[in-house]
Amino acid sequence: MDNEYIKKMLSEMDKDLASKGLSRRDAMKLAGLSSASFLMGGASSAEAAEEEIAKTDAKGRILIIGGGLAGMSTARRLTTKLSNPDITIIEPNEYSSNYQPGQTLVGGGIWDVDEVIFKRDDYVPDSVKLIKEKAIAFTPQENFVVTDKGTKVEYDYMVVATGLHLDFERLKGITAAGRCYTAGDNSTLLKVLGDDVCSIWTTEGSARTWEIMQAKIAEAKKLADAGSKKKLRFIFTHPNTPIKCGGAPKKIMNLANARLKEAGARDNVEMLFCTNGGAMFGIPEYHDAVLGQFKREGFKWKYRHNLLEVHKDRKVAVFDSKWQEKGPWDPIMHEYEVIPKHEKVEIAYDFLHIAPPQMAPREIRESNVGSPAGWVPVNKHTLQHFQYKNIYSVGDVAQVPMGKTGGSVRKQYKVLVDNLVAQMAGKKLPKKYTGYTVCPLVTDIGRVMLAEFNWTVKPAPSFPLDPTVERWMWWLMKVHLLLPMTQIGMLKTGRA
Amino acid sequence: MQVKFQLVTYDEELDKFDLDESVYHLELDDEQSKTYELLKDGDLHLYNWFQESDFFLNWIKEEVYPDSIGKKFAICDIDDVSFRRFYFFKVTSGDVHYEYFKKLFGLIEESEWQDREDFGKNILEYLPAKRQELVMELQDEAEVEDETEA
Repeated sequence: MDNEYIKKMLSEMDKDLASKGLSRRDAMKLAGLSSASFLMGGASSAEAAEEEIAKTDAKGRILIIGGGLAGMSTARRLTTKLSNPDITIIEPNEYSSNYQPGQTLVGGGIWDVDEVIFKRDDYVPDSVKLIKEKAIAFTPQENFVVTDKGTKVEYDYMVVATGLHLDFERLKGITAAGRCYTAGDNSTLLKVLGDDVCSIWTTEGSARTWEIMQAKIAEAKKLADAGSKKKLRFIFTHPNTPIKCGGAPKKIMNLANARLKEAGARDNVEMLFCTNGGAMFGIPEYHDAVLGQFKREGFKWKYRHNLLEVHKDRKVAVFDSKWQEKGPWDPIMHEYEVIPKHEKVEIAYDFLHIAPPQMAPREIRESNVGSPAGWVPVNKHTLQHFQYKNIYSVGDVAQVPMGKTGGSVRKQYKVLVDNLVAQMAGKKLPKKYTGYTVCPLVTDIGRVMLAEFNWTVKPAPSFPLDPTVERWMWWLMKVHLLLPMTQIGMLKTGRA
Repeated sequence: MQVKFQLVTYDEELDKFDLDESVYHLELDDEQSKTYELLKDGDLHLYNWFQESDFFLNWIKEEVYPDSIGKKFAICDIDDVSFRRFYFFKVTSGDVHYEYFKKLFGLIEESEWQDREDFGKNILEYLPAKRQELVMELQDEAEVEDETEA
């Protein structure tokens, strides 16, 4: 980002703010105040007062499965609410608490990978016991789990926060990549993906994405320098399963676009987004805004295209392409029926970024704790298991309607802790999660659309500014504020 | 004013709805007309109002389905407002119904990956419970009072 770029951004921001009757100073003050409260969990005065409530003497053995952001933040907050916490975390991965939202920035060459790698042991609260094993068998009827080392752990209350599995195994041609978690050793995956295919969904993969992206940009630059009209094709996919950070496939596409422009090689690359869905975003207002941005940047896109196969030898991706045709008239419904159709479509690529299919971990899916679909079936408001009332779930593995994001976890873990503590004290569950989530959608280097929404399917902005506008200050927040908020606000203090 | 109704009958044993092809007309008094005007764009609010109104149930019992105590039925259309999707919904129905039910049942997954078959399955899981809320049963008032007293 050079000075001219920053000046241009500031000038655009000033124009935009002026139309709302705000100066930059006022806006930053407003954003600064809001950001500060954001860091403290968007605390209203009522919430702030609640923080002052003394710890309770409620007792019970709490077992947390998973030491990622959701599990570890929940443990931390529980220690702030209970006088004598008896908490055990089961987590085998030394780097389970990584900062996953930063992986897009690593993949786009903004951050080094070291900035998103956190050591699990640095975040385990003092009073919490850590079992460095993997929970593999759940017996919720008798309140115990068994680990891969044969340890039987009994509990009175359990919080399931295992996260999810990245299911590369489902994609023909790269099935040897298997299933994996975001953090940890993913050398097999990287080896299988090779030099033209990448994915920011693993920590190591995000660093590898930047390497591959640079190599491909250099290829495009050579074409540009030679005055060639030839275009490389960069493909970015979005699968047919729920994924964590639904905006990430577009974020990495936008960063690749920014890097190509920076290199003067954009005209020699066709940017293609292939999504299983039928829209750019589930919220109409954000869909319109993202579509406008796609048109502005000259991107191409294909809806209802789900990646099935990768032929690395021919550099061809195979998609299941779906469409609908008009069927016969239905005299009762007073409308034409809709007949779904599909076929396989091959598209050649030079650079392929995969957002992998994602699923609940096998041990959850196959246990009584998980639903037939795999996710942990919880009341979407209280986060309490439908069948086993002493079990809760938080984060990516919880079966709530939308938003497998860090922003969702930031709201969920506080609701869960308050409800769990109330249950331990024999009280009614007092808190409800309303579905808030946030996707800071990086649209360029220096620009972010802060897409906040909830179950009303409407934008739910925390700031009195048009949420569909890409702004430099949200970029500043994404790059400078959200990481410390996660690291300090959630993992270290359990208050944000 | 006059309001036009079309109804569906419910067979509990088969858990099946059948369209009653007849069209029925109910005359509303001034007060009822005012309420109707206020609620006519209110979809289920309009439905609920009729469902909970004695004048409507009495009209059904006396004029539409006389001597049919125990009969179960539901409203299918009220003038131009249709509730057919509740009783005849199928996966091949148009997008407008998916959008309606997605909102009604809070099926707001990350919609970029969802397709109509997935939504259809989810909707079909939720619909039976919702339908039961809409079904009305013609009851003998005396029996109801007796039960209440007992």
